[in-house]
Order: sequence, then structure tokens, then C-alpha cells
Amino acid sequence: MLEACVFATILCGFFGIIFKKNLVMKIISMDTMSTGVIAYYVLVASRGGLFTPIFSTDNPGNYADPVPQAVILTAIVIGFSIQALMLVGVMKLAEIIQRSKQTRLNKITRHE
Amino acid sequence: MGFVSYLLPRFDRVLSLGVAIASIGYALKLFTQAPLTLQLLDRFGVTLLVDPLSGFFILTNALVTAAVILYCWNSGKTTFFYTQVILLHGSVNAAFVCTDFISLYVALEVISIASFLLIAYPRTDRAIWVGLRYLFTSNVAMLFYLVGAVLVYKASHSFAFVGIREALPEALALIFLGLLVKGGIFISGLWLPLTHSESETPVSAMLSGAVVKAGVLPLVRCALLVEEFDPLIRLFGVATALLGVGYAIFEKDTKRILAFSTVSQLGFILAAPEVGGFYALTHGLVKSSLFLIVGVLPSRNLKDLQHQPIQTSIWIALAIASFSISGFPLLSGFGAKVLTLKNLLPWQVIGMNIAALGTVIAFAKFIFLPHQNPERPETIQPGFWAAIALLIGSLFLANVAYYEAYTLENIIKPLATIALGWLVYFLIFRHITLNLPRFFEKFDHLIGMMSLMLILLFWMVMA
Repeated sequence: MLEACVFATILCGFFGIIFKKNLVMKIISMDTMSTGVIAYYVLVASRGGLFTPIFSTDNPGNYADPVPQAVILTAIVIGFSIQALMLVGVMKLAEIIQRSKQTRLNKITRHE
Repeated sequence: MGFVSYLLPRFDRVLSLGVAIASIGYALKLFTQAPLTLQLLDRFGVTLLVDPLSGFFILTNALVTAAVILYCWNSGKTTFFYTQVILLHGSVNAAFVCTDFISLYVALEVISIASFLLIAYPRTDRAIWVGLRYLFTSNVAMLFYLVGAVLVYKASHSFAFVGIREALPEALALIFLGLLVKGGIFISGLWLPLTHSESETPVSAMLSGAVVKAGVLPLVRCALLVEEFDPLIRLFGVATALLGVGYAIFEKDTKRILAFSTVSQLGFILAAPEVGGFYALTHGLVKSSLFLIVGVLPSRNLKDLQHQPIQTSIWIALAIASFSISGFPLLSGFGAKVLTLKNLLPWQVIGMNIAALGTVIAFAKFIFLPHQNPERPETIQPGFWAAIALLIGSLFLANVAYYEAYTLENIIKPLATIALGWLVYFLIFRHITLNLPRFFEKFDHLIGMMSLMLILLFWMVMA
């Protein structure tokens, strides 16, 4: 059940990337997709047990597998930095396009 | 090292050249010693494998980086540029040596970021858009790859490459999708021509010469580790070679021809995984020198170039590189091609020979450009000649490595291919103009192609 939800999230993100026209929306869809992937890693980690794998004297039950969690932490950081980079790129692009539109407008008004 | 050079901006060029030379030395050492396997931190940890195969790839990367740095020596690039080049160099090397999926993921993502920054270095709207497009495509592919990696972990409790044998076919399809997109193979690799042709000359030399190989080497490794995938990868190799060369023949823009030929040459590497290393080395050297040479030509349009003679010295360099990629004897492209064609399976032979013929046709366009000595030679930076000398000199040297290729039969066959290719070029392709649509290279279609590719892969691994 949970697994189906996770895959639905990934697919939602993917379709968002395909169908959205706005670049910022595309980036947000990509974020959705990566959220799905992260959730899937957490899900895989929790197959063995649900408790946080911290060393202590009392044993609360089965531990979650720490390896996928550790791995996905790296992936979260990378994904986050890539998104920041892409947003900067889109902002810069928008600024350049805005400016070129303005110069074109200025030229048109000068001709009249 | 890159960060050190950022702190000491005055020594940036010297430092980055030093890194490249260190890599060359290390790669040469790899050929003499036994394969070394490093396993850090138990079975969950990072595993590294350095053997002659990765030695070839590291050597390619090092030579290309050194040439690019020499080319940029006097061009007034900022320290930021060199820092990124070295970061890229380091992460590509990391991708070449690691044998578990997570280190590979990290290395590939660092490659994406560093190459985005390099592509967007001119800060024009076009450069930023091309860079964004690249970053977006590769990141989406890497997300699929991550899902595949966790499926492998689920099956075998380890991220090592060998674990893929036990994993579900879905995992295989997802991981292959990520690597195919990253390596620019077949239809999922159609992002590559625009990216490589629109970025600056040194950057496209670096991307085409070394960076795409980072996606290809893991595929080659998978094919070598697990025999069942071998036919799959070979099939993709043939399909890629034909597709790339088909586009390259009809292209009118010099840099786009080179980019499409990169696609087809990657197919050659995959078509015979056992000997892919040597082919990758020669291709990296040839392609980066071709990109650097084309960068100094007066125009990018082939039609203009046919009416505008180029300087003879540049033409000689261009012709040597084109001869090597067509597989002319005395250059290492010949040895590599013979080696690859020898290791093909019977069903691949026809396809790969057609692809080789197509390569000759595409590069005949470069060889038959008019040339003359102008009265006032344009001044070209000495860095350019240093870089070209390094690359072409290595081409000659690498040729010696496989001297068994020089039998009569082996020499006649490439010569016949070249002659036939030139004949076809003069009879047919010189006169026709056919504009293939760039429809499939639009951004939306790239992502759409990725999903098609995913379905195809699913179907192939299930069958």
C-alpha cells in the first residue's frame, strides 16, 4: 500500500516534468519526484523494523536498516544543491529575457 | 586540489596542469601492476577497483584535461574555470574507479554540477539554457537510477555492482536507463548533440572526450561482470553507432557532426566491451583534438568553409585527426577499430561495418575542405598548438601499443572502407542536402524519450 503511494508520487513528479510548461513548475515536479525516491529508500530501510538504529542498553524491538538511510542522506543533499543551482539558473535566464524584451520595447518606441 | 587552486589564484594553471600530469602517471602505473581492489568500511562501504580497463579511461581523462588546460593557457579564463575543470576531472576519475552504485551516483552528480557550471561559464542566455537542459535531463535520469539502486540493495543487501545479478529485472532497467542517458547512448542520448555543440570549444572537448565515458564505463563493467547483459549492451552499441552516424552524415554544422559522431563512437565502445578501453582512449584523444581544431576554424557552417580556404597548418592537423577516426593505418584509430571489429559477435558485424563506413563518409567532409597558405597568417595562440601536439602525439604513441594489428588483411580492409566511403561521399553526399528535423532534441521530447526508453528496457530485460 505504502509502496504504491510512493510510486504514485514518483510518477506524479515525472508527469509534472513532462506536462508543465513553466520551468519553475518543472523544477518543483522534479522535487516531488525526488521526494518519492527518498520515501522509497526510507520504506526499504524500515522493512526489518521501525526503531531508530541508535545504540542503547534497552532493546525496544527490531531496528531499521541504517544503510539506505545513510545513503539517501547524501542523495538529499545533492538533490537539494542541484535544485538550488537550477533555480539560480532559471532566475538568471528570466532576468536576461526580461531585459532583452525591454530593450526591444525601447527600440520600438524610439522608431515611432 | 581544485579548492587549493581557488585559494591561490595566481598558480591556478600550474596547479591544474600538475593534477592532470599526476593522473597520467598514475594511469600508466596501472598498466604494469595487478588489479587492485579496495573495500572501505565492510560490505556496505565504498568499493574501488583499479585495473587496466579503468587505467585506459583515466589516461584518456588526464590527457584530455591536460590538453584543455594548455589550450586555455593564455585565454584569460578566471580561476573559477580551472577549479571547475579540476573538479570535473577528479569526479570523472572517481566514476571510473568505483564499483558500487552509490559512489557512482555521487560521482555522476558531481560531474553534472561541474559540467553545468562549465557550460554556463559564458553567462549568456543560450549557454545557461543549454546547461539547465543538461542538468535537468541528467538529474531526472539519476532519480530513476537511484530507485534502481535501492532495488538492488533490497535484493542483495549491498550496493556493489555484482549485486545486480540477484536483483529484479526492474532494477536492471532503471539503472541502465540512468547510465544510458548519462552516457548519451541511443535515443536517450539525443540531449548530447546540442549540449556538446553549443558549449565553448574547450568545454565541449572535455565533455566529449572524457565526461560521457563516465556513463559508459559502468555499462562496460556490468557487461563484463554479468554475462547475461552482454548481448543487451552489444545490441545498444550497434544501435547507437548506426543512429549517431546516420545523423552525422547529413549534418551541415561542424560541431554538430562531431557531437553526433561522439554518439556513434560510444556505440563502438559498447559493441565490444572487452576491448572498449583502448577504443575509448583513442576516441577521447581524437574527438577532443577535433573539437579544439574546429574551434579555431573561421566558420561553423560547412558550406561557408567550402568556399573559404583554411590555413594549411590547421588543415594538416584536422586531416590527421580525421584520418585517425576513420581508421587509417599508422594512427591509433586503426588499431582500435581493428581490435573492436575482431571482437564482435557474428550478428554485429554488418551493422558495425556500416557504421564504420558512415564515419568515413562523415569525416570526408573535413578532409576535403579547401586549404591554402594565406599571405598574412592569423596568429593562433601557442597554447592551441601545444594542446594539439599533445593529443596527436599520444595518438601516434598509442598506435604502438597494438602493433599486432599490422597484418596485410587488416591493413587492406580499412583502406577499402575509406576508399569506398570517399567514393560514396563524392558520388552522393556531396550534392544532396537533406535537413533532418531536430524535433526529437527538444526538451520535452528528451524526457518523453526517456520514458519510452524505460518501457523498451523493461520489455527487453523481461523477455
